[in-house]
Amino acid sequence: MPSDPLWRHVFRRLQERVRSGRKEEETAACKLLQKVPIFQELSGRELHKIEEMLYGPRDWRAGEAIINQGDPGMGMYIVASGQIRIVQMGDDGFEKQLATLTRGNFFGAQALVDQSPRPASAYALQPCSLLVFCRPDLLELIDTNLPLALKIVEGLAQAISTDLLEVIEKLSAQLRDSERLLKGARRAGSIQ
Amino acid sequence: MMNWQVKVVLALVAIVVGGWFVYEIRGILTPFVLAFILAYVLYPIIDWMERRGLGRAWSTLLVFSLVFAGLGLGVFKAGDKLAGEMVDRVFTIANTGDKPLIIHGMAWEDDARDQPFVLREEHRWPLEIAPMEELAVPLRFVPKDQAPAANALLIAYSQGQDEHSQRISVHGNGGVVAGSQAVGNPGFIAFSRTDIGFGEADPNVLVEIGDRILAEASTRAAKIEPMLQPYLGSDFRLAELIREHGERLMRTMLGGTTLFIEGVISGLTFVVIVPFVAFFFLKEGRRLTRCLMALVPNAYFELCLNLMYQANRQIGNYIRGQLLAVLVVSVLAISGLSILGVYYALPLGLLAGLANVIPFLGPLIGIVCSSIVALATGGGLAMVAKVIVMFLVIQLIDNVLIQPTMVAKSVELHPLVVLFVVMVGSQLMGIVGMLIAVPLTGIAKVSGQTIYEGVKQYRLR
Repeated sequence: MPSDPLWRHVFRRLQERVRSGRKEEETAACKLLQKVPIFQELSGRELHKIEEMLYGPRDWRAGEAIINQGDPGMGMYIVASGQIRIVQMGDDGFEKQLATLTRGNFFGAQALVDQSPRPASAYALQPCSLLVFCRPDLLELIDTNLPLALKIVEGLAQAISTDLLEVIEKLSAQLRDSERLLKGARRAGSIQ
Repeated sequence: MMNWQVKVVLALVAIVVGGWFVYEIRGILTPFVLAFILAYVLYPIIDWMERRGLGRAWSTLLVFSLVFAGLGLGVFKAGDKLAGEMVDRVFTIANTGDKPLIIHGMAWEDDARDQPFVLREEHRWPLEIAPMEELAVPLRFVPKDQAPAANALLIAYSQGQDEHSQRISVHGNGGVVAGSQAVGNPGFIAFSRTDIGFGEADPNVLVEIGDRILAEASTRAAKIEPMLQPYLGSDFRLAELIREHGERLMRTMLGGTTLFIEGVISGLTFVVIVPFVAFFFLKEGRRLTRCLMALVPNAYFELCLNLMYQANRQIGNYIRGQLLAVLVVSVLAISGLSILGVYYALPLGLLAGLANVIPFLGPLIGIVCSSIVALATGGGLAMVAKVIVMFLVIQLIDNVLIQPTMVAKSVELHPLVVLFVVMVGSQLMGIVGMLIAVPLTGIAKVSGQTIYEGVKQYRLR
């Protein structure tokens, strides 16, 4: 340690800055991760480990495509800032907007399970910043840190089952609607 | 916006310039390539330790300490052995007078064919040394065994009318120093020494084999020379041609290798740079890839991510597979040769294992080298037959068990490609070049394939 008071002061300031800077960065990414249902069960230490595995934050300009329907999926995206539009191209050739996502939301989690083609595209509505968690990193985690990987896979399964339940609910509502329509039409005598 | 032709031309120019640059700095690249390969080899071990709960940095440090302690010991031992196997000394003859000095010839006092002292350069006698000039005479001690040896080099020279001779005594492995004194003291010639001790040395297999092959080939050639001369003219000397070109070939191959080994091992490069770089590849690899990926434009982010992971996996599998195959074949060959009682089983087995990386040609290298050594060390044809049968069995095991399980099918190279890259390798870096040409081509092919397959899956925008 330098004995000169000036240098001691400079060193202390530098150390403080490095420490506080690192802490701020950590808490920003970790706080964001805590909002994602998949990572909710993770401890601070585990979150930090995941943070090291993430790509980004990467920035997208407004209007830029983030993922494209039909491409092989590589991982899930977590929105750090900005707005994302999820769009699906139907068989009829018309685009259908599925959702709008903001900070703390995530998309593309199916890609963590397998490399099937992306079911929908994502576009940036505003300039936005995203974190990316990749399937190969999850596989590596299964190899090197199974308890942590299991927690994530459990979160993933829960997230997907929640999605699935929603879809089932929507489908059954649609089914009810169409049955009601069908009954109405029969009663009116237009269909035998 | 640039149109696409301009882009293609620019890309081609960039590739050519990049290739040229890499070629120019290939000497410096060697430790990086080695570090890269080392990192791939050690990666699974460190992963395994991390799985057992040890931190990544600690695992890396531990594995490195162990591996390099072992390697260092091995290199030290091997270097010690190599240094002991071949001993070179140089003495000089200086013309201190003011008239030209003529050397009429040099001859060994005991000129038996198997005496272990060699004049490393052939001169055409008589040779003139101008006033105040000097001639360096390199000698080599290549003993066939560890027995004490002594001899003397007789040098006949003259300045003006008088003819003199000088005796330079040489001895190694504790041979008795024969007395050596200048005959007369003309005062116009100076010998840097008249008594050269080569110290202790073991038999050297490389030089011995090389010399034997050359001698054998040129004697054979001398026999058929008279038959060829009527067709090719009387100044056609096959024996001399073979000796000359054979020597040049050997010097190129061994010289290239020595240069490479010097480049790698000499001084600090091997000891410091390779572990240093490999350590950072392993410890900071993840951060490194994240930094690289940050440079990729958004439109190609997922594509590049996919390619990077796939290429990483394929290259890793290829390198680890090849190394495992080398290890298994080496162990098989070493044990086989030891059981058969062939001398130098360890270096021959290692060579056979390494050469096995080269498809088609590699197994031949193992067989030929081992057969020559078996013959040269007095094994006879029966021994050669046994060696060949043993290598055939190893080849069978290799082709049926090792290659299909350890080396990926996707890296099969066409025989012509193998021949071509092996020749390019030998042109650039000698024997070592031949050995690393095929794996490097394999790595290039794997990467190329992965990139092509990956790009096909994405609609490029």
